[in-house]
Order: sequence, then structure tokens, then C-alpha cells
Amino acid sequence: MGIFNKLLTAVRGGATEVGEAIVDSQSIRILEQEIRDSKKALNDAKTGLTSIMAEKMGVDRKVKDLGEKIKEHEGYAIQAMDKGDENLALEIATKIAEFEHELSIQQGIRDGYDTKAVSLKKMIRQSERNIQAMDREVSVVKTTAKVQKANDLASAKFSGSNSSLNSATDSLERIKARQQKREDQAAAAMELHSDESGDDLQAKLKNAGIVDSGSSGSSILDRLKKQKGQS
Amino acid sequence: MSTEKLEQLMKGLTDNQTSHGVSLSVEMFDADDKVACIKLEDREEFPIYMTVDEGQILCISYLFGDEQVDPDKRTAMVEAMLMMNVSIPLSAFSKIGDQYIMFGALSPKASIDELLHEIELLSDNVLEAIEAVSDYLKEAA
Repeated sequence: MGIFNKLLTAVRGGATEVGEAIVDSQSIRILEQEIRDSKKALNDAKTGLTSIMAEKMGVDRKVKDLGEKIKEHEGYAIQAMDKGDENLALEIATKIAEFEHELSIQQGIRDGYDTKAVSLKKMIRQSERNIQAMDREVSVVKTTAKVQKANDLASAKFSGSNSSLNSATDSLERIKARQQKREDQAAAAMELHSDESGDDLQAKLKNAGIVDSGSSGSSILDRLKKQKGQS
Repeated sequence: MSTEKLEQLMKGLTDNQTSHGVSLSVEMFDADDKVACIKLEDREEFPIYMTVDEGQILCISYLFGDEQVDPDKRTAMVEAMLMMNVSIPLSAFSKIGDQYIMFGALSPKASIDELLHEIELLSDNVLEAIEAVSDYLKEAA
């Protein structure tokens, strides 16, 4: 079964067991057992990988040795031929053939170990991810149970019951009311500040036409014309 | 993951909140299961619970329980939530047991700035979400 299916079974099972908290439900216990089993399987896989790596290292050494021996004997064969000793050269060449045969066997074994190691590593990564997902599921469920308990306690402390304080819409209304109050306070503080700095008086004077309400293009042009006329 | 990582995040949140322009309180909610509780100022009704493991930092806020949903409108609400999911920035709806939740997840390598952004946005989203689905909920007693 895929991991998502497993998790779905667990949460579904928990949700359908009426009257039982999901955290105590059979399905969560099954999931916890599954986590323990998976962790054990993971450990076994890791041990398996370690021994495969060790064996592969042994084979690697053999492959290297054989390669060196082949090179060495090739040298001997050439020397024998140089000396005109065809029989000895042939004997050495036969030995080389034996080494090459053994080498191809050992290389085959090494490739086998490589393939096995790669698939074990993949399996380890996958089961680590699965364990994480299951762990997360269980911890999220447990946390939820604790949060609910804490909420119930808090609301019982406030109202003696756990009725209206728990309602999400009521909570939202309270938050909005607090936000509004804060905004009102800020607006009031700004107003007070602008009063104090005389902005308010200036605005009134402008409105009454006592203070110039700002220069326009034409008034500036008039002023400039006047200046020019004087000079 | 270790408690140290969670404590490190908690400290980071406490130290950096002002530079980020939010005001929040962070405390350990459950040391056994390594859960921190984050409360944003003026929004204490909807705290955010944070956990961290090798795979992710998870921030959850609880919206309401099944008992608050109008049974006749339940299917419609769930469908509305599913459809809203994609367009909600960084957060998504879900359900744990009988509790409807909103959550956001980050890489464990995320910066404190990113985490603060996530928490702020999650909190905004929670308020928006409750407003949006309030028609599906039972009238408050």
C-alpha cells in the first residue's frame, strides 16, 4: 500500500471511530506500530547496505589485483618473446587468459553489488520519507488532541462552560472589534496631534479666506509681471 | 528533529519580530512533542502551532471543530475550501480529527524572515478564511 493510502486509512479510521478520541483510536495505534516496523526494516536495510559495501570493497580489491597481475604478466610474456622463448611466452599467455577470465567474473560480481547497493539506497531514502510522513501524522494528531484539551480548559476557566468562547466566528468578531478599536485610537491620536500642531487652525483660516489658500499659476505670473514693471 | 532546532526558531522569531513589524509571543506549548505556540498581538484567539522535523517546518492554526459546522452545508463548505486552496497564498486548508485547520509548511532551511512572513500570512489567511466560510457555520448561540 502506498504511503498516502496508509495515512488516509489511519485518519479515516480515527474519524469514524465515534466516541473515541482520534489519538487513542485503533488506526493511530496501527500507524504507530507501522512506524516501529518500518524503523526496524530501515535499520535492517542499512545494515544490509553496510555489508554489501564491505563485500564490494573486497571485490574491488580483487579486480584491482587481477588488473595488476595481467599487466605484470604481459610484461613477462613480452620479455619471453624478446628472448625467443615461445613456449614460455605461451605458458604466460595462458596464465593471462586465466586472469582475464577471473577478472570478468569478479567484475560481474562487482556490478551486481553496485546494482544492489543503488536499489537499497533508494529503498532506504523512500522508507525514511515514509517514516517521516507517518511520524508527522501521529505527532500532528497528538498535538491536536493537546491543543483541544488546552482550549477546553481555557474556555472553562473563562465562562464555566465551553460554549460560545469556542466559536470561530465569535473569535473573529472579537478580533475585528479589537482591531477597530486600535484603528479608532490611532485616528483619535492623529487628530489630537494635528490639533496641537495648529494644522486645524490653519485649515480653518484658509477656509475662512483669511489666509491665502495657496498660490495659483496666474497669481504667480501677476507677481512676476509686477516685479518686472518695478525694475 | 531535535528540540534545539525548534528552540533556535523560537528565539529567532522573538528576536526578529520588531524588525519585521509584527508583535508576537512565542512559547513552548508541548516539550514532549516539540510544539511551539505563537500568538500574534490582538489575534490570541487563533494561535499558530509550530513543529519542525527533518523534512519541514509546519505551522498550523485551528479554525473550528465539526460541531460548529452546519451539517446541511458541510459538503458545500468542504468543496469551497478545496476550491479556495490554490488561490490562498502559502497556506492551505486541511482537517485533523474533527478539527478544520489551516497550515503552511516551509523547508527546515528557511530563513527567520521567511518564517515570520509565513506566520503573518497564515494569521491573515485564517481570519479571511473564517470570514469566508462563516456562512457554512452554525449561528453562534
